[in-house]
Amino acid sequence: MRFGNKDLARYPFLREALSYVTKNEFKIEDLDNSEFYHLVEKAKRKIEDYVFEGKLAYQIDYNKTHEIIVQEEVIIFLISLLLIKSISIDSVTKKFALFESMRFERYLISDLDNSNQDDKTVKLILYKIFEDLFQTKVDLEVDIFNFYKIKISDYLDHPIAFQEREWNLVNRTVDKGYVYLDGSEIVRLFRNELYLLIIDRIKKMNPEVLPDMIISISDSLKSRWEKMYPPLRAPGHQDILPPCIQHIYNQIDKGENLSHPARVLLGTFLIYTNKSMEEMIDLFKRLPDYNEQITRYQLEHLAGKRGNTKQYFVPSCEKIKLNNLCFETVVCKGISNPTQLIYRKSSK
Amino acid sequence: MTSPTTSSHTSSSSDKLKDSITDSFNYPHSVEDDPNKIWLEKVFRKHYFNSSSEIELDNYVSEHEFGFRLFDGYIRRHLNFKNKRELIASIIKFSPSDIFCSPARYQHPSASMDQKGWIGADLIFDIDGKDLQLDCARIHNMTFCKNCKLIEKEVHTSCSKCNSSMVQIVELPCQNCIRNLKKEVTKLVEVLHDDFGIENNSINIFFSGNNGFHIHVVDESFFNLSSMKRSSLTQYLLGRGYLVDNLGFRIDKSDNITMLPNKIYYNKGWRARLLSRLHLQLKNHRIDDKFMRKITQIKETNKIGISGVINNQIQNISVKIDPNVTIDIHRIFRLAGTINSKSGLVKSRVNNLTTFDPFKESCIREDALVKLDAFVDTKLFFNGTSYKIKTGINNIPEFVAVYIISKGIGDIYIEKLK
Ligand code: SF4
Ligand SMILES: [Zn+2]
Ligand SMILES: [Zn+2]
Repeated sequence: MRFGNKDLARYPFLREALSYVTKNEFKIEDLDNSEFYHLVEKAKRKIEDYVFEGKLAYQIDYNKTHEIIVQEEVIIFLISLLLIKSISIDSVTKKFALFESMRFERYLISDLDNSNQDDKTVKLILYKIFEDLFQTKVDLEVDIFNFYKIKISDYLDHPIAFQEREWNLVNRTVDKGYVYLDGSEIVRLFRNELYLLIIDRIKKMNPEVLPDMIISISDSLKSRWEKMYPPLRAPGHQDILPPCIQHIYNQIDKGENLSHPARVLLGTFLIYTNKSMEEMIDLFKRLPDYNEQITRYQLEHLAGKRGNTKQYFVPSCEKIKLNNLCFETVVCKGISNPTQLIYRKSSK
Repeated sequence: MTSPTTSSHTSSSSDKLKDSITDSFNYPHSVEDDPNKIWLEKVFRKHYFNSSSEIELDNYVSEHEFGFRLFDGYIRRHLNFKNKRELIASIIKFSPSDIFCSPARYQHPSASMDQKGWIGADLIFDIDGKDLQLDCARIHNMTFCKNCKLIEKEVHTSCSKCNSSMVQIVELPCQNCIRNLKKEVTKLVEVLHDDFGIENNSINIFFSGNNGFHIHVVDESFFNLSSMKRSSLTQYLLGRGYLVDNLGFRIDKSDNITMLPNKIYYNKGWRARLLSRLHLQLKNHRIDDKFMRKITQIKETNKIGISGVINNQIQNISVKIDPNVTIDIHRIFRLAGTINSKSGLVKSRVNNLTTFDPFKESCIREDALVKLDAFVDTKLFFNGTSYKIKTGINNIPEFVAVYIISKGIGDIYIEKLK
């Protein structure tokens, strides 16, 4: 079972893809050679798109021979990892990993969707990827509408099963010891893993010398980032910040992404505490998948400014607990909604 | 009344305990002045002497942690026995009021918690009558006041004599309670089998000995599950956080229905159970117009609205287990085949759930007649016989007396010799 060359170009993180460049004796020091300039340039643009614009615009250039396409894609992938490693800012690493994993996720989805029922090999190869990279055994149930199935216990190895409500076991189709997932769901399930894999690859990048080219580009990206995102200042120190909200701030500070319920919690809480739209945007723009238009829309929706929707209230502690977002401490004693902590402070 | 066991009074057995003191056995013996406890300890010992073969153990006795609650009320944990024989010898010697065994197996069962070396644990479930909140229970249970010792019929939140709120509920499950508990067991077994894929012969059902059932699953693929994964299973069984979106439509706060993209909804698990309860049918795992019409009809013909109807059915389907018991992989759990001191009944294996009658199959066999001083009038059924207990002295078999004394609604009657 082997990939066609073209397929490998979409999955440059695979061992098999890497072998395409190693067999041609590619060395990192060579990147200072002008023949690689266009690849370094492409990697740089990809990072800028991801990190500063928050867009997924990267395109594979298919107008070449198959062999060259794969080689180039693998090298671009390696260059990006080197650049990110050299920038070495946690939030940048995470944002890059998120976008890069989203890119691969898209390829996977389209490969799964494009393969029709009798195109079993593609599917077999795809879940071979999953098995090799993530140690999860996935079976295809051709007889049951091409569902994939994973043993319950293996399914629960994936953090997403605990992070997001619709991915909790109770909201999955479970039968005879297996969790059933359709094509796009199975790829979603692996998003976290793909993301972690990329972060891991970045960590493992340890070249003896970095080419000058890489250093100078990463330095300029780094200073641009630092100008854009000065360190997060401690929010409203005069209030007691509910621990669940504090936890979200910490996550943002570390460059982590937020689940949908966490965004709703933060959004409603900020609205409740009368933060201006600009103050809120300033916080949300630190999220790796930030998109100004969507964020504005969502915040206005939560505030009840859009259409005829009513204002959303800050969810109750019970609901927050249900979403695993509660980090209860002594200050929470006897309250049922995080906003009560604000009353408590101001009523003194 | 013949007693084939050891000495019938406790001072000598207390001496014996001192002979064999292990670190964890330090029996201060506060029971000497309590005739009920002295008597129960004696009857329990007699029972274990005669019926030790009923105690159920797996092949890894030496890898389990055991716990004994003695009649002084204290539990000794972290006990460990080489084999069944050693365990039973110890049980007969100490005649504990309750005997516990860890569903977990450890490398060093007697070490402190963080040194034990957890190997794995059977998956256990506890279904307790208290959690069902049945109407009958409020009527046939009684209330015991810890302050003035008054026992009243029915459940009250405070004592009607002294007004103290230090009251304790005396659970006296009836056949209706048992029937409803069995329903929960049936639901649990169905999900374990159909959804989790557990073979029926790996599912062991026990009467808890008091007012509930314990289910032990002995299955390799669940033995190693972490606490967190077990909590997912309990959430599944309880239906906590279930999203209606799984049915292919969404209901907003004003009970409006919107369809979700029509994809294939594999009709299994919760979805299948819920749809069948709602009499909704998917056609070839897809939603069709008929399905839609039916939902609208449900919505329009029910005062509680579509979300009300669905939430009620979620409640009906969910299995009323106590999640904490399943999630805690380090706890000790009542050992099968031993007496529950809350009732004097045995935690016994249920072979046929439909016909199972705890008041027949879980009684201890000791049946010599004894005198009992009852605090209230009550009627009890044991072994197919009805016992009318009158306030005051009654002549009844030991297994009935054990029940009444364990429930705290009567004393053993000892003729004053002085
Ligand atoms: S108890 Fe409420 S306020 Fe406190 S952390 Fe949990 S959800 Fe937040
Ligand atoms: Zn009282
Ligand atoms: Zn009842």
